[in-house]
Amino acid sequence: MSQQPTTTELSLNLDEPVDQRPPLLLGDNSFRGITEAVCRPVEWVPPRGWYIFFGVSLALLGVLVLSTAYLFYMGTGIWGLNNPVGWGWAIVNFVFWVGIGHAGTLISAILFLFRQRWRTSINRFAEAMTIFAVMCALLFPTIHVGRVWVIYWALPYPNQMGIWPNFRSPLLWDVFAVSIYGSVSLLFWYMGLLPDLATLRDRAKSQLRRVIYGIFALGWRGSHRHWQHYERAYLILAAISTPLVLSVHSIVSFDFAVSQLPGWHTTIFPPYFVAGAIFSGFAMVVTLMTIARTVFGLEHIVTRRHFENMAKVMLLTGSIVGYAYAMEFFIAWYSGNPFERFVFLNRAFGPYAWAYWIMVTCNVIVPQTFWFKRLRRSLLWLFIASILVNIGMWFERFVITVTSLHRDFLPSSWDYYSPTFWDICALVGSFGLFFTMFSLFVRFLPQVAMAEVKAIVPAAHVHHATLHPAAPHAGPGAPAAPGAAPAGSLATPASLPQEA
Amino acid sequence: MAEHAADPTWGVLAEFASPTALYRACEQLRDAGFTRWDAHSPFPVHGLDRAMGLRPSRLPWVVFGGGMLGAAGGLGLQWWTSTIAYPQVIAGKPHFSWPAFVPVTFELGVLAAALACVLGMLHFNRLPRLHHPIFRSTRFEGVSDDRFFISIEAADPRFDPSATPGWLTQLGATQVELLAE
Amino acid sequence: MSHAATPTLSQDQLRLPRSAVWRSLPWAAAAVGLLALVVHWLLGRGAGAARQAHFSYLVAMLYWLSIALGALFFVIVQFATKAGWSVVVRRLAEHAMITLPLLGLLFVPIVGGMHELFHWSHPEAMQHDALLASKAPYLNVPFFSARALLYFVTWTALAWLFYRRSVRQDLDGAPQATERLQRLSGPAIILFALTVTFAAFDWLMSLDPHWYSTMFGVYYFAGCVVAIFAFLALVGLLLRRARVLADVITVEHYHDLGKLLFGFTVFWTYIAFSQFMLIWYGNLPEETIWYARRLIGSWGQVTLVLALGHFVVPFFYLMTRATKRRGATLLPAALWLLTVHYLDLYWLVMPILHPEGARPCLLDLTAFLGVGGCFVALFGRQLRRHALVPMRDPRLAESLAFENY
Repeated sequence: MSQQPTTTELSLNLDEPVDQRPPLLLGDNSFRGITEAVCRPVEWVPPRGWYIFFGVSLALLGVLVLSTAYLFYMGTGIWGLNNPVGWGWAIVNFVFWVGIGHAGTLISAILFLFRQRWRTSINRFAEAMTIFAVMCALLFPTIHVGRVWVIYWALPYPNQMGIWPNFRSPLLWDVFAVSIYGSVSLLFWYMGLLPDLATLRDRAKSQLRRVIYGIFALGWRGSHRHWQHYERAYLILAAISTPLVLSVHSIVSFDFAVSQLPGWHTTIFPPYFVAGAIFSGFAMVVTLMTIARTVFGLEHIVTRRHFENMAKVMLLTGSIVGYAYAMEFFIAWYSGNPFERFVFLNRAFGPYAWAYWIMVTCNVIVPQTFWFKRLRRSLLWLFIASILVNIGMWFERFVITVTSLHRDFLPSSWDYYSPTFWDICALVGSFGLFFTMFSLFVRFLPQVAMAEVKAIVPAAHVHHATLHPAAPHAGPGAPAAPGAAPAGSLATPASLPQEA
Repeated sequence: MAEHAADPTWGVLAEFASPTALYRACEQLRDAGFTRWDAHSPFPVHGLDRAMGLRPSRLPWVVFGGGMLGAAGGLGLQWWTSTIAYPQVIAGKPHFSWPAFVPVTFELGVLAAALACVLGMLHFNRLPRLHHPIFRSTRFEGVSDDRFFISIEAADPRFDPSATPGWLTQLGATQVELLAE
Repeated sequence: MSHAATPTLSQDQLRLPRSAVWRSLPWAAAAVGLLALVVHWLLGRGAGAARQAHFSYLVAMLYWLSIALGALFFVIVQFATKAGWSVVVRRLAEHAMITLPLLGLLFVPIVGGMHELFHWSHPEAMQHDALLASKAPYLNVPFFSARALLYFVTWTALAWLFYRRSVRQDLDGAPQATERLQRLSGPAIILFALTVTFAAFDWLMSLDPHWYSTMFGVYYFAGCVVAIFAFLALVGLLLRRARVLADVITVEHYHDLGKLLFGFTVFWTYIAFSQFMLIWYGNLPEETIWYARRLIGSWGQVTLVLALGHFVVPFFYLMTRATKRRGATLLPAALWLLTVHYLDLYWLVMPILHPEGARPCLLDLTAFLGVGGCFVALFGRQLRRHALVPMRDPRLAESLAFENY
């Protein structure tokens, strides 16, 4: 039973008076209210819908496990790869999932650095999504190697063969980049969880819960001396994660761009891929959040304003993706290189034109609807559009990978690529992994960063105007120096450091 | 609350109603010269560093050092494997093909920095520490919900078991209790 | 997250004080600028100096243009993001962006001197080179000139729209102005991105007409953003030395400018390195030739200096919090980055004229002072004419009371 925000509150939240900042939370925004609203889904018996969702996810996960077992047994020949298309669905799925993961880090880190307080309602959710998406992403390079039992050969360690990995290969850069991205995201997510795990520990009714949450909370006790180091660490992790997230999808784009293949070898790939990743990631957050906030009664914490902001980010990144398409197209013509020119004509009018136009519709046209305020604020359209965007972004990776390979320099080598049943199982199954992890997350962990949300509500602010009433200065047995300036105090706006 | 005469006192715990009250009280404690004390809140109260007179955290230096070590290690690993241990001419590039070494160098630097950051933070906070006398207080369970506290250890030179609790009430505490070790 | 009351800015906080040396800036700068332009023109008429004169002028134009375009970008983005912190510095950027029409006027010699600059503008070149001929629909004199006109018309229109509403709001305090500019900012970004990209293609990339890079527009853009943050920090800190805006633009704002300067320096590095590494790795001669030109002779040293100076040094220098919060340390960083940004543009342009190595000469200086003098003169004049901050911006209070992390 969520507290339904009133019409006035809704309009307050969406109002845009230029001299005020609209409230970020509606309804009961007391500290206790936030704790109750966010902890309830972790402490209750979940509704039947959760069990159904979890069941379906497990079934899909089963599909993944079985199809992967068959893959290991039979080898990668069961997939649709051929000559010249040696890279097919596996790498498309890999790039797709890595891209989805980027929204979490953007929301956690980059929006934090830009002081966008509205991020606190969605960052925990999005970061969890990042970690699960990275898991799904790493799945594909792992299973596609053929002899997965010797995959450790990819790592640099002294061995009896006397060989070392090829550090010039972007595929190895991927191993480092994506696994480090997963690790750092996990660290960031876990660090953010510490205060909330303490909340769950303190509220736990059963001894088992108290012990488990207690262990993972590491004994957190809200000490401000701890908060000081914690806040610094949070800021530093945010500052580190920002270049990290830019680098990860850039390195993934290098898989293609370092080659000499027209349609792959183009310098704009790194920022283009990063923008596309953020684009698809936000779409996935929107898809999941529209459902989760209703099921779990969090509409007053994740409000329409949050969705509107996410829509604007999608509009921005979708436009960047559109810009990159235009640049590629123009420069392909400008280069005068007949192979470059052919690749782009082939994409639009060749055998894969159907995929190309799905991509353009979903990635360029759909986000442009977010210019219209009514569409930005319609949860139904947001839900539909976000799914279309993710379909479009999957197709973008497909178009890039397959169209450049299937018709490159030598016409006698041209061929058509189709996925097999097992390719499809792997993709569908990966969603099973993702949604299974997700179901467990919403069941056992708080979906919203309670401590962060509490810090931004009006009640959290210290009102300096009411400070310094007439109070006794001296403590017992202590000749105090009243009003002594403490060491290391920050300069307030009213007292600037003396400038040279 | 209950004070077990047999157990030595660890300190006193005072509860406050709001961040403003907490801030005000912290300023007073800082000015009175207390050293072994702390404030507790469900979220970091803005400006409390100043009110408590805390020195800035040294964590950034730890992170910088970690990051530099990681990056140097990454570059060193690639340099050694590509020029000494297993030199190969690949794609016509020189053995020390430094542009290609940048991604892994950067990533390892980031990893080392992030680990240094989190582990450093835990180290400075002396966490994990699952047992602490402050958890004896049942009201303290509210610290992760909506309550604000100040704790002063008995080991502090200015602590006076008879006077300090009363003084804290004068500073605006709604509840004060002595805690056993 | 401040709860500040209505700001009370006194008259001498809002206007340049009578005694300030900044009052005489427009005249001094105009004198220097015009004199330098005349000297540049005279020297350029010397034997064989025409090409050098045009190339030096192109570098200078693109430099000052990058500051003006960066300013336009900054202003548009502040409205698009409904930013609160930046209101007190925004007026300085507005004065920088309103120089765009003047820069458009100063750009005429470039269009007129196309034949000295652009190899493709020679009909014989087009005849003998099949590759160039295939680009003829784009690289031809009429279309090129029309595009240049289009870019400047667009930039002038955008700058004028944002400028006019902002200064009018000083008088009537109407919040609708802010609302309108917020609504305008979205389409404005799109227009900005496209025009700046193609301007970079036209004026920089086509100097080497066989070469191409899809990233190039982004590269020039990155330079523009570094330039504007350095410019804002520099101008703000110099004004502060004259006790102007001293309590208005606070250490918190400089911290933010420093952070953004740091961040976009890293962004520039990322773009520059990505472009380089991909071309290096693919090793296709039609692409690598562009970098090869910049490694021959003394250009190799310039490249090294650029890499160290535009990335390594600012990265480590601007990393700490303390550096960004003190004028004494931030001002040199801003000046350094503005200098190395010039080196970047010099490095982009000059290898076409001087393939053997860098040949700095007097004409570089006269061009720089010429265009720069006009830029600074107009900037200074606007500074005198209007309030120093958008005094009735609805978010001014928030900006004045702003506190950083």
